[in-house]
Amino acid sequence: MIHLLGALIHSRAGALALLRLSEYLTVRAIGAALTAIVLTLFITPRFIWYLHRRGLVDQLRETGVPSAFDKAGTPVMGGGVMIGCIVIATLLWCNLANRYVLTVLVALLWFGAIGLVDDVAKWRARSGNRGMTEAMKLLLQGTFAAGLVLLLISPWTPLLSGPGTPLLGSPGTPMPAAHRMALYVPFVKFAIAQSAVVYLPIVFIFVMLVGNAVNITDGLDGLAIVPAVFVIGVLGFFAYIMGNAIYAKYLFYPLLPGAGELIVFCAAFAGAGIGFLWFNAYPAQIFMGDAGSLAIGGCIATISVLLKQEALFLILGGLFVVEAASSQIQDKIGIKWLGRRLFYRAPFHHQMQHTGLAETKVVIRLWIISGILALAALATVKLR
Amino acid sequence: MSEPKRILLTGGGTAGHVNPALAIGKALAGKDTRFFFVGVRGRAEAEIVPREGIPIRFVRASAYPGSRPSLELLRFVANLSVGMLQACLILLTIRPDVIVGTGGFASAPVMFAAALLRRLHLTRARMFVHEQNAAPGKLNQLVGRLADRVFLTFPETLRSFPGNGVVTGYPLRRRIAGVDRDHARTQLDFTIPQGRQVVFVFGGSQGARTINRAIVDALRHLLPLRDRVFIVHGTGLFRSADYHAAGDTEARLEACYTGEERSEIAAFYLSRPFFYQIENVYALTDLVVARGGAGSLYEIASLGLPAVVIPKANLPGDHQVMNARAMARCGGAVVIYEEATLVDGQIVEQVDGRRLADTIVRLLTDRDHLAEMGRCSHAFSQGDAVAIIERCVNTTESEAGAGTSPTPAPGFPAVGASVSAALPSNQALLHHLEREAAHRGPGYRPADIVPSQDDRAYYVSRAASLLVSADWERRNVGVKLIGLLEARDKTPLLLALLADKRPAPFVKRMFGGDYVQVGFIRRNIITAFGRLGVGSPEIAKALLSAFDDPYFEVRAEAARTAALLADRLPDRSDMVAGLRRLLSDRWLEVAGAAAQALGKVGYAHDALPALLSLQDARLWRLRAAALEGLLSLVDRGEAGDPTSLLATLNHFVLTSTDFKPEFQIKRLYGRLLTAIAAREGDDR
Repeated sequence: MIHLLGALIHSRAGALALLRLSEYLTVRAIGAALTAIVLTLFITPRFIWYLHRRGLVDQLRETGVPSAFDKAGTPVMGGGVMIGCIVIATLLWCNLANRYVLTVLVALLWFGAIGLVDDVAKWRARSGNRGMTEAMKLLLQGTFAAGLVLLLISPWTPLLSGPGTPLLGSPGTPMPAAHRMALYVPFVKFAIAQSAVVYLPIVFIFVMLVGNAVNITDGLDGLAIVPAVFVIGVLGFFAYIMGNAIYAKYLFYPLLPGAGELIVFCAAFAGAGIGFLWFNAYPAQIFMGDAGSLAIGGCIATISVLLKQEALFLILGGLFVVEAASSQIQDKIGIKWLGRRLFYRAPFHHQMQHTGLAETKVVIRLWIISGILALAALATVKLR
Repeated sequence: MSEPKRILLTGGGTAGHVNPALAIGKALAGKDTRFFFVGVRGRAEAEIVPREGIPIRFVRASAYPGSRPSLELLRFVANLSVGMLQACLILLTIRPDVIVGTGGFASAPVMFAAALLRRLHLTRARMFVHEQNAAPGKLNQLVGRLADRVFLTFPETLRSFPGNGVVTGYPLRRRIAGVDRDHARTQLDFTIPQGRQVVFVFGGSQGARTINRAIVDALRHLLPLRDRVFIVHGTGLFRSADYHAAGDTEARLEACYTGEERSEIAAFYLSRPFFYQIENVYALTDLVVARGGAGSLYEIASLGLPAVVIPKANLPGDHQVMNARAMARCGGAVVIYEEATLVDGQIVEQVDGRRLADTIVRLLTDRDHLAEMGRCSHAFSQGDAVAIIERCVNTTESEAGAGTSPTPAPGFPAVGASVSAALPSNQALLHHLEREAAHRGPGYRPADIVPSQDDRAYYVSRAASLLVSADWERRNVGVKLIGLLEARDKTPLLLALLADKRPAPFVKRMFGGDYVQVGFIRRNIITAFGRLGVGSPEIAKALLSAFDDPYFEVRAEAARTAALLADRLPDRSDMVAGLRRLLSDRWLEVAGAAAQALGKVGYAHDALPALLSLQDARLWRLRAAALEGLLSLVDRGEAGDPTSLLATLNHFVLTSTDFKPEFQIKRLYGRLLTAIAAREGDDR
């Protein structure tokens, strides 16, 4: 919106050249981040007390690890605040004619809604384990994934992106045709696969897995949010590169015109995340719940797909991958098939706790690891 | 009502499905009715139906393997699809007026095809289904809803078919009733000497391995009665890679008895795979030994024969056991349960031959009691299911609309209440016992939770039968139940299971598996030893070897159980040595459990120095466990000289990477609640 106003005022009144800054992505990104932080810091306390008054607090769950036992009574659904603040910041600072941003906004709201319904269902059932059925959750996520896939292959996609009016700014095209089915991996300059048969299933599975991976990681205070902020930050950086003709050419990345707008969204996301961390740090005053973790996962997945960086997630989101993998291996391979535990506990953060690390220590160590992974992901920009 | 011109019967897999189909078909037949049968090649119907003079067609089908995705499930679906197509063709060419299904996977293709064709209005045949057991089979559950009527044997089953269920009892083949004894004697193709009491032993149309083996073993103990008794043994038609009913029985006879003994046995024993004119055998029988299938029991009961029932345990709904117990309660039968026993190091489900022989002898000797049993048996079955079905089908035609039971439920009448008081399943029982054990802690006694000793004995034998299951999950449940029920007499079985070191399949081993008896099973066996609380040398030996088990949870559990059984163990020095070895195990959980156990098992000269050596272990949890061990030693007075101990402890590393948080506000809240509660007590 500010982008709009800025362009409007700037084109009409030559003065107030300061407002020309609003055309710059970096300025808008920082603005979005700051707005999101301030909004979150302001709204969350009020939201916490609202949840307490309505009794929408976490029900007792059995996790087998001592400290969680003391968290009963903490409000869940912090994700709702995050989503709200991100949306507001996005509306303010993003160019809303950009198709990339619209796609990610839909992802945010869709996954957030799924998570919200699940949280409310869990509260209604008065138990931590019986929210929405697994099948229903997977079905809804799959619907979005399918929608995303359709968006990628739809023949109407180029039609949706017309020149647009100068008033609305330059419209973004989601994905130039040349790159639509391309599969890129880190360290390699060219696409390793170009066929829809290979690419589309990968996209579908990727979207489904990432959301659930973040959900599994959200088990300790502050554990999921900081790595998520790292991931989103790096993805925003990639968005800026790929949207910029000069940098994209220099670094051998496919040019995706209009993708740069995503950095504003990512900045808003990071801002809201940091604002949330203010309250979520140990001992937490509010949890993000399924609303938050699924929303984060959905956004990460969608942005990765839009920026052709699915494979990068293995490095960048390595923490989420390890958490999800350890959980699945322990359960599906170990307990159900082999009839033994392969690790002490799963997911990975429980394993760390079991051997005698305090919750805060585990969280901070995992933050460090995810930071290192984010740096490694950034290194792949040049190491090709 | 117009007599149906063409009746299609389907149902199979075993005679328990085929015979009711034939019986119902006969009930519905008119003068010019033509019958057709559809079944699966190579199953019971292929043998039985042609002898009835009914043309039989075959379709493809296989048994339902369960809902977990697997190759068998794929094969099942493929077979079913092909079978359905074949069945559709058959239905369209034969154009029956009535279709009767009695369940069993062999009838699935026809029933589904019929349902489909009805929906498409390509057939106007009426569909009837008969359910033989109290708990309806999967197929009937699915298809029953689509049928015009579902005929039920037990009143309990009405719950599953509220709209179209009718309680009729079990339709018998008419011909088995009322055959004259002398006439029957002439009809048989073998001779039964006069004046003998005849015992008819059989395990259904397929035979039953347990019964076959038990009777062969029992023959030795029946030899003294060889002039007064005649055993007619139907070994069954079953033939597979694992077990050939007739062949196995022959082999066992040859193995167990010398040539001389066999010729003596031949004077009072005869075996055949199958008896086609079974009514003649029944007519001469004084006592039956059989499985607990509804069909067999109903047949036996309607003929007024007393029975020794050996039910097969752990079937869905436990239906054979329920039927058997019901008949026993009525006075018409005696029940012998299969017991899981150790034979040559293997766990085998069997009935002891001597026990069977003793039961037979006891029953045969008291002729008055035997006659009384016969009368009770007859009372067990009342009513004529076939007539009821016939009447029901007629009224269906004249009055549209679903009905409930038109006449009071016949068959197993005194049993209605007792059948519905079903015993809990293994899973339900396990869940209940585990919850109680967690709740009561050290005050847990199985006798408090399951007061009836008979029930406990039954649960134990049922759990022991689980130990031979092919699924490791079921064996696991069996092990846990034996521990929770404190069945000390089953300890040899647990020891055998633990000693079974057969390696798991290669694929599983690649991913971390070790033995066929998976890690959870071995761990739970050791936990069970702890519950059983016996410190015998065998258990001590098992614990010692468990210290070297490849799976960490087993080693940890062995350490914990060693601590539990500490006072009852014969020789502690081996234990202490083993535990000391475990202190340097690379898995924290094992080393920690060992440290704690050393405190309870060890002494000042061996455990104390070992525990003190942990004072600067890297992981704080190990050091904490060492402290716990030391605490136990001090409490037992095995800590040596206090002063030097204190001096050594001065160097104990006390830093740690974890702590237990206390939320002050929650603590205050708790104190407030306690104070208020105390006040409340005062005021009363």
